[in-house]
Amino acid sequence: MNGEPVHALRGVSLEIRQGDYAAIVGPSGCGKSTLLQLLGGIDTPTAGSVELLGTRLEGMSDRELTRLRLTRIGFVFQRFHLLPVLTALENVELPMAEAGVARAERRTRARELLGYVGLEGRADHRATQLSGGEMQRVAIARALANRPAIILADEPTGELDAATGRGILDLFQRLAADGSTLVVVTHDERLAAEAGRVIHMLDGHIVDDVAGSAFRVPRSEGTPVEERSSGIEGAPSANAEPGTRNAER
Amino acid sequence: MTANPLRNLARHPIRSGLALAGIAVTTAMLLDMVLLAGGIERSFERMLLGRGYQIRISPKGTLPFDTEATIPGIGGLVRAILADSGVVRAGAVLGTSVYARRGDTLVTLFGYGIDPASQAQYQPQEGADLAEGDTTGLLLSVPAARLIGVGLGDSVTLVGRLDPQVAAAAVERRLAVRGIVRWLYDYRGQPSVGAVIPVMQDLSRLRVEDRASAVVVQARTDAEAEQVSRRLQNRFPLLEINSVADLVAHFRERLVYFRQLSYILGTISLVVTVLLVSTLMTITVNERLGEIATLRAIGVARSSIVRGVMAEGTALTLVGGLLGIGLGTVTARYLDRILTSFPGLPAAISFFVPNPASLTVAAGVLLATGVIAGAYPALIAARAPIAATLRTEAT
Repeated sequence: MNGEPVHALRGVSLEIRQGDYAAIVGPSGCGKSTLLQLLGGIDTPTAGSVELLGTRLEGMSDRELTRLRLTRIGFVFQRFHLLPVLTALENVELPMAEAGVARAERRTRARELLGYVGLEGRADHRATQLSGGEMQRVAIARALANRPAIILADEPTGELDAATGRGILDLFQRLAADGSTLVVVTHDERLAAEAGRVIHMLDGHIVDDVAGSAFRVPRSEGTPVEERSSGIEGAPSANAEPGTRNAER
Repeated sequence: MTANPLRNLARHPIRSGLALAGIAVTTAMLLDMVLLAGGIERSFERMLLGRGYQIRISPKGTLPFDTEATIPGIGGLVRAILADSGVVRAGAVLGTSVYARRGDTLVTLFGYGIDPASQAQYQPQEGADLAEGDTTGLLLSVPAARLIGVGLGDSVTLVGRLDPQVAAAAVERRLAVRGIVRWLYDYRGQPSVGAVIPVMQDLSRLRVEDRASAVVVQARTDAEAEQVSRRLQNRFPLLEINSVADLVAHFRERLVYFRQLSYILGTISLVVTVLLVSTLMTITVNERLGEIATLRAIGVARSSIVRGVMAEGTALTLVGGLLGIGLGTVTARYLDRILTSFPGLPAAISFFVPNPASLTVAAGVLLATGVIAGAYPALIAARAPIAATLRTEAT
């Protein structure tokens, strides 16, 4: 590729606190998903730093980052990406199996999680036998499997019709109410309206950060801010202590 | 990618089925080539050792029954050979053409002059064997019995070959059929008869010089055969003395192109297997890049992804290989039937002979092929950039 390098993000400074339910909104191409990927350690900033639970992600090896994503971060994607040859239960078990959780224990927890997302009766159905909404619920249960400190969701209702999306919104509300720390990238105004905090982005910048009901986080351009966060054990919540991300990409 | 590899293969049943069929065909070809590469040698060796005689003695510069040359003074030679401490048994054999009367006509037969006590030429099947010195008895192969139209106990008139240079009538002998035997070196359908050596010598006018075509020698043990062979060679420098190992080596030299062809075709089948598996797995991995990126994003290690892809490639090769073994066995039998029906080839020879060692090596190579074939797609999967792939998937 020739020409000037494009910075998807510039001068972004953001802190996510434990129990936050933050929605990142903005037009397509403004850098929302890139920000989420930086937060989740699946992309690295060209400048700046990202910290999770007191650990700087820069300089971590691929193996360390992979382990961090496995044990401390839960991801939910627009295109659910369940393994079609596995059942709902096996899909939820997958991250636990990767983490070395004993079979009996992970099976029990996977059933609990499927119950939490309202799919206890669909546990033994293959992913291909589930509706879009059900697949996204399984993906959410999968994200919760290893009791992550934070859940990152990228357009979780993007592939769903309004009614089905409503069910997912309710599930996120429930997760937030249960104390989970959630960061959701969305175009869905309903989802953004229900989040406790709404971060507006435009052309790679955070232009507004509205603390819905609890707080408003100040931004400082280009200055890395230390972040600490820690997960709280117990299904199905995803809790994070105060944290900050400061990245440029 | 971390799911059961067989379940993953079932995601595209038609595509996987076609790939499995391709692998089965190449495996069948590999199997047949492995069986063929050393099969005829092993079969030849087995045939020569069928009666436990490890050494063959023939006229200088010939192999047994390669020409019509004969050795004179055969009785004395056999006695001299038996004097060797390492020799347990030795017997002369004469091969010649004879005729049998069938009504007013003569039918052409192959005649064996044998020493019933020390013979490596036949296995009795029905009736009795010849007793030593039985100059009125005859052994027949099933095709000979059919051709002449006789059975056990019947009489047969054998007529010696009429040599135009000898101004004498052909010798005739009336013999009684004692037994039906399987001549070990006969081609399929060959009509052969056997009588004690003096009878066949009379029929072929070789009695005076006591001639025979070859001598078969049994050493005390297989391990001693080479030493005995060398000793006899030193003692009888004007004769060709070969152990079975020597004969197999001669045979191998003659079949070197055959073997090379087998290796080349076997290698081609392996290469095709690699191409088939790696092509299918590359397509599969490219189709599933989004899935792989997701798995990596949720914390599945590169090594797990690589293992998954390679397990799938290996499973494909193993399942295809198992199908190929069945297919290869069937085609080997079919091809063997065609090849062994070539005129002049002993029926006891097989072209496709299984050998546990070479089959084990072939299975190992095939398995390694599956693993190697999965390596490139696994590398693609492992190196898939997570963020970029997820971005591409989202658009």
